[in-house]
Amino acid sequence: MNSFFLILLILFAGAGLSFVLGKISSIISGTVAFLSIAAASALFFTQIEMGSFIEFSLGGIQLQWGLNSYGYLFGIIVLGLGTLASLYSISYMQNKERTSGFYFNFVLVIAGMTGIIFANDFISFFIFWEIMTWASYLIIIYSGKNVKKIGIKYMIFSAIGAYSMLTAIVMIKGQYDTFLISDAINAGAFNFIDNIYIPILLLIGFGVKAATMPLHVWAPGAYNNAPTSFTVIFSGAMSKMGVLGMGLVLGHMFTADRSGSLTNFFSGFSVIYLQQTIGWLGGITAVIATLYALIQDDAKKLLAYSSIAQLGYITVGLATGTKLGVMAALFLAVVHGIFKGALFMVVGAVERQAGTTDMTKISGLIRKMPFTFLTALISIIALAGIPPLGGFVGKWMLYEALITESNSYFLVIVIFFSSTAAFLYSYRFLFGLFLGQEEKETEQVKEAPITMIIPMLVLAILLVITGAFPGLIFSPIATAMEFIGFKDVTWNMSVLNNVWGNEMNLTYLGITIGVVFVSIFAFITLKGLKGTRYVGTKDISTSGEIPYENENLTFQINFFQPFVRAAAPMYKRSMNKIWNELGNGLEALFNFTRKIYTGNGQTYALFVVIFLVLMLLFKDTLFV
Amino acid sequence: MEDLGIKIIGALLTVILAFTVGMTYGGIVRKLTARVQNRRGPVIWQNFLDLLKLQSKKTNIAHGFMGHMAPVWIIISAGTVLMFIPILNGNLWFPNLTFHGDLIFLLYMMVFGSLGMALGAGQTGNPNSAIGVTRGLSQMVGFEIPFVLALVALMVQYKTTSIQDIMDIQAQTGTWMMFANPFAFLAALFASLGMFRYSPFDIVGAPAELASGPVSEFGGKYLGTMMSGGSIFAFIKLTLYVDLFMGGAGFGTGILATIMGLGILLLKTFSLYMVPVFYGWISPRYRTEQAIRYFWGWPTALGVIAVIWAIF
Amino acid sequence: MTSNNKDKQTIVEYIQNWSRKHSLFVMAYGTGCGAIEIPATMTSRYDAERFGIRGAATPRQADVLLITGYLATKTLKRVIRVYEQMQDPKYVIGFGSCTINGGMYYDSYNTINALDRYIPVDVYINGCMPRPEAVISGFVQLQKQIAEGTANNAAKYKENLEWYRANQKKIIKNWRMPDYNW
Repeated sequence: MNSFFLILLILFAGAGLSFVLGKISSIISGTVAFLSIAAASALFFTQIEMGSFIEFSLGGIQLQWGLNSYGYLFGIIVLGLGTLASLYSISYMQNKERTSGFYFNFVLVIAGMTGIIFANDFISFFIFWEIMTWASYLIIIYSGKNVKKIGIKYMIFSAIGAYSMLTAIVMIKGQYDTFLISDAINAGAFNFIDNIYIPILLLIGFGVKAATMPLHVWAPGAYNNAPTSFTVIFSGAMSKMGVLGMGLVLGHMFTADRSGSLTNFFSGFSVIYLQQTIGWLGGITAVIATLYALIQDDAKKLLAYSSIAQLGYITVGLATGTKLGVMAALFLAVVHGIFKGALFMVVGAVERQAGTTDMTKISGLIRKMPFTFLTALISIIALAGIPPLGGFVGKWMLYEALITESNSYFLVIVIFFSSTAAFLYSYRFLFGLFLGQEEKETEQVKEAPITMIIPMLVLAILLVITGAFPGLIFSPIATAMEFIGFKDVTWNMSVLNNVWGNEMNLTYLGITIGVVFVSIFAFITLKGLKGTRYVGTKDISTSGEIPYENENLTFQINFFQPFVRAAAPMYKRSMNKIWNELGNGLEALFNFTRKIYTGNGQTYALFVVIFLVLMLLFKDTLFV
Repeated sequence: MEDLGIKIIGALLTVILAFTVGMTYGGIVRKLTARVQNRRGPVIWQNFLDLLKLQSKKTNIAHGFMGHMAPVWIIISAGTVLMFIPILNGNLWFPNLTFHGDLIFLLYMMVFGSLGMALGAGQTGNPNSAIGVTRGLSQMVGFEIPFVLALVALMVQYKTTSIQDIMDIQAQTGTWMMFANPFAFLAALFASLGMFRYSPFDIVGAPAELASGPVSEFGGKYLGTMMSGGSIFAFIKLTLYVDLFMGGAGFGTGILATIMGLGILLLKTFSLYMVPVFYGWISPRYRTEQAIRYFWGWPTALGVIAVIWAIF
Repeated sequence: MTSNNKDKQTIVEYIQNWSRKHSLFVMAYGTGCGAIEIPATMTSRYDAERFGIRGAATPRQADVLLITGYLATKTLKRVIRVYEQMQDPKYVIGFGSCTINGGMYYDSYNTINALDRYIPVDVYINGCMPRPEAVISGFVQLQKQIAEGTANNAAKYKENLEWYRANQKKIIKNWRMPDYNW
């Protein structure tokens, strides 16, 4: 059998099987889910040749599934992270209820995403997209909490995205008479000269999943409401499907050849206009999400907002339309998948072991959960973009692209503001969960089970490797970028370059940090080793006062109060309010409509009579 | 191999130079402050005495692994940044890695130490430390904005992100950047007020209400190592400013040229260092939100003007 | 005698003691009225900083614990806690007559009379109040002891901990101090 069918079959069968077996035991169900995803990824990475495809027709429509280098890049994220997350889920979901439904939808989401990667035509793309959306919707409302508020918001925005995407697909079919993505691209569907609506409609469709402003309002709630082991996939991989689509559209749009066109100048101008708009939308998304992330008291919500901010960077990178910028965006997409996956796993581990993710309730877990803390530390360093880990490479390229290639000097400042403010919530996250006072309430907490630790540590190690050898990810990115229209993409294993010829050598950086680290660590540890003793967190200088054992010395509430005070004007506006007002306006409109469609049969009969009378009256003018 | 040997010796020399200069500047500032207050003040090498004393403490306490590591992060950050900053222009004794990193990297690497330090302070569990850290991070968001605007202005004006290139351009044109783009210099100068944390921006330490903030649980070798790291950082920031805005220093590799170059470097850095110190002598302390608002006001406006100046 | 002690020190100890002598971080525990003399000592007129004396905010950083005046029994507990949180080598200066024999509060029900029954004292400064000159002279005395290597009271405290604890517990009825593993 063909590998494409086989992989999807394994995934769908795994979904069904884990649903059935879930009635027996959640561990068996989880294991089945893990095995099916692992098998599918094993097949994906070994059996499928790049560029191969199959064609078949279904109901008279020609469908094509294949694997291109662009899809392969996202396949790495989806299946790699999917395998680790499903392994992680086994322990995480152990004592939860209704796990069979969870695993069913979990595997279905992975299957949907794999299908999106395989899809070479718009029909199967859309079908798999909807499978992904619906399965994820069911997981979001899995807990049964906030179904009305969050579930409906997610559903509405997904519907907006789906309808605009469907409209675009119909328009493509109407204009170019093809469903194949490659044909549409070659015909110039995305190049913004011949048609403005198709790219914009598609961007709206993808922008919903990538949580770009103003379509981001569903994301914090949905990320927070889903079980944490799924949020790993939700934020780490599923949001990248939006990035996949946006990259496809924007890449082809910016690299399209406009030399032959008469309207060359104006269309080029309008492309720059669109480019700046999307870039600024991404930048503002990043700033606003960061500002909201740092006032959260719940670790999971904090990460949810932080995900939106990071997706904002990716959007900015894609919108630059330059080689370095798009490379930065795709690199950030991969690295964000890694570190945000790891961080949500950390939150899940804390949630499972300590019972809550509220940072005002727990603190000082570092000694109880050392491996979880290590993962959190490495991931946070990567998230904050601090050298020498993977996050820094992406940030560096993004800044250099904006400064050297894209001339968006003020967008740089916006991004920089956002990523400096990101230090605040990064610190909050580590401090809130792991550092600070070791309180009595968390005394019994133990380290998470090994099946949860292993995926986390794997991701942490990957972050270190991507920091030292980003070339390992550049090589699939470079071929993927060639697929979306960029030519001669160059990269080095561990040297970064910008177009002005300045370089950033990660090898020297690594060596320097290593040498300094080893020497100073040895110095600080060995110096006065005997005289150094470790004390508990209650042994602090409190002006001679001796704190009682159950006395709460934790500083967690109103953490960044001075910053929030300083930035108060920025907190006044909220996209949620604007959408709410729009919703209220629509409701008024619908209320008006209800006066016409009263639901009373007599009224309808009256309408019919009136219609007929009008037809008769004007029959001469209407039907000439 | 010989080349590598020179490089290693050069790196060690750089560290020793940065450490000595940073510590001495600290001592001089203490002395000058005392003279301004009509006191005799401590000796100029008082900081070395303090450091020696702290390192010869017989017992130390740590609150756990991150607390133990706090000074390590600072030294990693300080040492690494030092290697990527050109000390003397065109001098073979301080070659280091100046061509292999650029401004964006330095911006991020300089934060590394503060964040690591913040984590160490967090683990002590002292609420004062955490409050100090939140203040410090908030203030950082404040002063980084004008600073980055100034740097972007420089990078855009001369189409390079490398410090070495900016130094070379200044040497070639003969115009210091503080005259070529005065607004950028002013914005960066305002940012430096927050960077050095003298009054009115000494909200992190705040001995009166926070008991020295993040370092309140560190003593002995930990405090001593942090002090050295802080001193190296002072030198780094000053040298960075001199390299970027005041043409750097350095004439060549000969012994006389090296000594002259160092002399010029010290002169420039010291005069620059006096700006936040002078400003501090005549200022009381701001509240945190006032400090942040301060940086988001005129300094940011100057930075925006600098970028516009650079574009046209 | 001074020279004998100096001979006993190794060169490393000599340097260490020299640096300790010239860098004294003072934890000024303003227990009584004597605290009012500290600002005078530190600021322009008398300028203690020229001897390397400066204030420390927390006991972790401090070398010298300065007990300024009478010590109420409630305060004693805090003083002991602060003293034990300081890192070796550490010194105590008893400031004013009250720390020596109770001074004018010798028969008060809620102050202690002799400080060195509860924590070891290196230098006493006599007077009520001792003027800043006297305070500085006390510091110089302490510096001499440090240079000679005779200011080892912290070690003495550890050796005679039981005796000190017994005395402390006699005064402090609700003893609720954490156990230390020295």
